[in-house]
Amino acid sequence: MNIELDDLTRRFGKTYAVAGVTMEAGPGVFGLLGPNGAGKTSLLRMMATVLPPTSGRLQLLGRDPGSYGPRREIRRRLGYLPQNLGYYPGFTVVEFVEYFALLKDMPPGQVPRAVARAVEQVGLGDKARAKLRTLSGGMLRRAGIAQAIVNDPELLLLDEPTAGLDPEQRVSFRAMLRGLGEHATVVVSTHLVEDVGAACSQVSLMDAGKIVFHGTPAELVARGEGSGAAGDAPLERGYSAALAAAR
Amino acid sequence: MTGAGPNPGPFPGPVPDVDLSRVWTGVAAEVWRRRPGRAERLAAWLLRSPGLARALVITPSLLLGWLIATVVVLAAGVIATWGTGTPYVALFAPAVAGAGIAYAYGPGLDPAWELAQSTAVSGRMVLLVRALAVFGLNAAAGLVASAATGAAAAVTFGWLVPMTAVCALALATATVTRSANAGVAAGLSGWVIAVLAGRAIAGQLTAAITDSALLLPYLLFAAVCGAIAWYVTRIPRGAS
Repeated sequence: MNIELDDLTRRFGKTYAVAGVTMEAGPGVFGLLGPNGAGKTSLLRMMATVLPPTSGRLQLLGRDPGSYGPRREIRRRLGYLPQNLGYYPGFTVVEFVEYFALLKDMPPGQVPRAVARAVEQVGLGDKARAKLRTLSGGMLRRAGIAQAIVNDPELLLLDEPTAGLDPEQRVSFRAMLRGLGEHATVVVSTHLVEDVGAACSQVSLMDAGKIVFHGTPAELVARGEGSGAAGDAPLERGYSAALAAAR
Repeated sequence: MTGAGPNPGPFPGPVPDVDLSRVWTGVAAEVWRRRPGRAERLAAWLLRSPGLARALVITPSLLLGWLIATVVVLAAGVIATWGTGTPYVALFAPAVAGAGIAYAYGPGLDPAWELAQSTAVSGRMVLLVRALAVFGLNAAAGLVASAATGAAAAVTFGWLVPMTAVCALALATATVTRSANAGVAAGLSGWVIAVLAGRAIAGQLTAAITDSALLLPYLLFAAVCGAIAWYVTRIPRGAS
């Protein structure tokens, strides 16, 4: 298993952002759904090793990120796209992706090819030498995805990756996710249920810091059937029904 | 698609398929490849880490504009010292270095801070390397400027220890408040207060850099501030 969480919590003051999450995930695309403030981003940040848990056990790629050596090894093999992607306005797309490839300790000889592959994979080849400050929001998001996949990660964590992408880009991004999920564990946090339906083999629904549903997208759809829950699509109805049952 | 292969005669047979995507990636890698400058190559060799070297050369207070500004301030200090006899370089240098250190590292000035925190190169190593580089460069520039004024050795070298304290204060404040500007303000204010207090007590403007009784307090203060910065940049607690 690439991800093993056991009763994981994260507290901010008196508020529990993540309140006892237990889950396991191997290779595949794993969707994390939930309303705003459900704890998706905090959970993802803990898995990205930027936020330590308050309690519970966290194992990533078979290692404990609480110690320096294992944490460094995890980070070499990790790809992360935060919800709010900060960027250096004066960097070009290639410089930005290359910077993070170097920070991930990739062998310098492999970096130029890996950068070119990642930039092409997200369809930014024609903007490779454009400064980041000149790019649209969707293009910046794609640059962020490129830096996340540049090291061919075994664990890829994407927080709202499709925000700002147009429908065509979203479709090709989902196809890319399916490809990546063949050998890596990809966790996608999103509030767009159609992303989950199209790309994810497993889905967890979070609410108030807890996982209130875990299963396949088809099982989530089944939750909504005949429930009378609100939603325009079967997955949306399943989402609403699972949330209503948990509250 | 097929690619060119060895032509055995007038009727060439089928040639092996070529993965054009792979070829293009190779071409793009060469065309887009960034050539690191001399300073970055040297830093990569010294630090044994191209990532750390890259993080070092993009330090805001090591960029050309900042370095030019530092030289201009110190040159103005040299000229002012020649004109008045007051060792302004020794008074300016700690303030300039403190500002540089505050702008060396931290979430307040690194837009991709969170992303960088998820990578293998340790944030503390970046902090250490950047702070040492900025400190070293400012110390060297200040010493050259100070020597150019022809001041006495006590003045020429006397400001190095206070500079350490000012830099540590600026760094600690910048990391605690997550704001480079707050670090600059604290460093400058601290130094101005030290200089004015020295003047009030000893009656001379340079007392803050020439009074040997202050060396130990400066070093102690620097150590405390350094410890604060080190503590703040640890892996945070599980609750905040």
